[in-house]
Amino acid sequence: MRRLIATLSTAIAMSFGIVTLWGLLAGGGVVTSLANILLQLVLLTVAVSILIGIINLFGVHFGRIRYREGNWGYSIIVILTAALVIALWLFNADDANMILLENAQVAVESALAGLVLFALVFGAYRLMRRRVTWGGILFTVSLLIILIGALPLRETAFIADARAWLLAVPVSAGARGILLGIALATIVTGVRVLIGQDRSYRESENI
Amino acid sequence: MDTTTQFITVIILCLTLLTVVQGALVARRRKDAFPLRPIAAYDAIPYMVGTAIEADRPVHVSLANTGLGGSNTLLTLASAEMFYQTALRADSSLLTASDPTVLPLTYNLLRRAYVQRDREDRFSGSRIRWYPSGTQSLAFAAALTATLGDERVSGSILLGSFGAEMALVLEAAHRKKQGSIASSVDLQGQAVAYAMAGETLIGEEMFVAGAYLSDNAAQRGAVVALDTLRWLLILGIVIFTLAAIFEPVKNALFGGG
Repeated sequence: MRRLIATLSTAIAMSFGIVTLWGLLAGGGVVTSLANILLQLVLLTVAVSILIGIINLFGVHFGRIRYREGNWGYSIIVILTAALVIALWLFNADDANMILLENAQVAVESALAGLVLFALVFGAYRLMRRRVTWGGILFTVSLLIILIGALPLRETAFIADARAWLLAVPVSAGARGILLGIALATIVTGVRVLIGQDRSYRESENI
Repeated sequence: MDTTTQFITVIILCLTLLTVVQGALVARRRKDAFPLRPIAAYDAIPYMVGTAIEADRPVHVSLANTGLGGSNTLLTLASAEMFYQTALRADSSLLTASDPTVLPLTYNLLRRAYVQRDREDRFSGSRIRWYPSGTQSLAFAAALTATLGDERVSGSILLGSFGAEMALVLEAAHRKKQGSIASSVDLQGQAVAYAMAGETLIGEEMFVAGAYLSDNAAQRGAVVALDTLRWLLILGIVIFTLAAIFEPVKNALFGGG
């Protein structure tokens, strides 16, 4: 039975993938309409997955409270806040929801944004402290050139030129290299999904 | 989509298909034909899992805001494979994500990992955590830093589309003396991962967890295909660069006109 389900899910994934790709390449006609219907089905799945997410959120935090796991008191706050936001949404109280968002979440995120700077500086310091490698030295030297080059001082003008060159040539080339690598890997993974080699919807290792 | 783009897309897809199928066939027939180059992060995973088992603590995998149905779908599938491979080895795994579409996928993978080990009774849905938040959210990073402490995780594997906020999570992991492996498709996040994580996966290395952590010929075939395509791309860049500079260099050396 499991084998049958696995074969069926592989067949569905492959055919949906091929139809969507064909629809994208064809740029019109019946196949494109079919691809659009499939994409709308995806939206429906996303809505269902949000429901699964809410059940997960409540399930996890009720579990934490029930078993008195570490810092379980925060789980009460999470559950109450989530329930409050859902209740406000149900009663169409969008203004109150916005106040919650602006006064709580935005404020917390702004405070955290300030902390990111210190975490980054400490991280750069620790890079050289942990182990000295050629990559680490290159990273630190580049970082220093970028930071010093950004200073609006006449004495550091030559470093500003080095900074501009660094950003225009090696940094740009490196970034493109990484992005090309990701793009290639994405294409290979996509083709593996299309030919049914991906594990995500296969039940057995051997199929 | 114009005809030229369509033509190029079809050529790239056909070429990839050919190399993936051929790579899988070769990898299945001769296991040692294409040895995988060592990647420190993948070498560190068995050690991280072993430490977690000895300490009776979970290994944490975070997929950040990657999800199914968007531009990060394939990255999500690759990251989910990493989670599956970790869950297959570790006594206890913990997954955090902010996109709800990964929940059904990861529930299924976690269950399958337990089934594979004949320990289905130990499967618990609470090992998958959803922290709703936006793209590259600091709130999500804050939730992760709290999770690292509350769940007393042994090590973290952070994959997906993290930005600079990854620094907060890695800093928390360092303070708690927990191991970390990190990678991001976002270049800012990638730089932070390189500077602060214990081990880093760069670019396409994120997509090959299955090949490095399992003995699956199809997965190894995908790495062979990836390497082949990379060399073809390098060859293409070199040829086009030479073609572009040929005329100006010739003019400079022998005089133009």
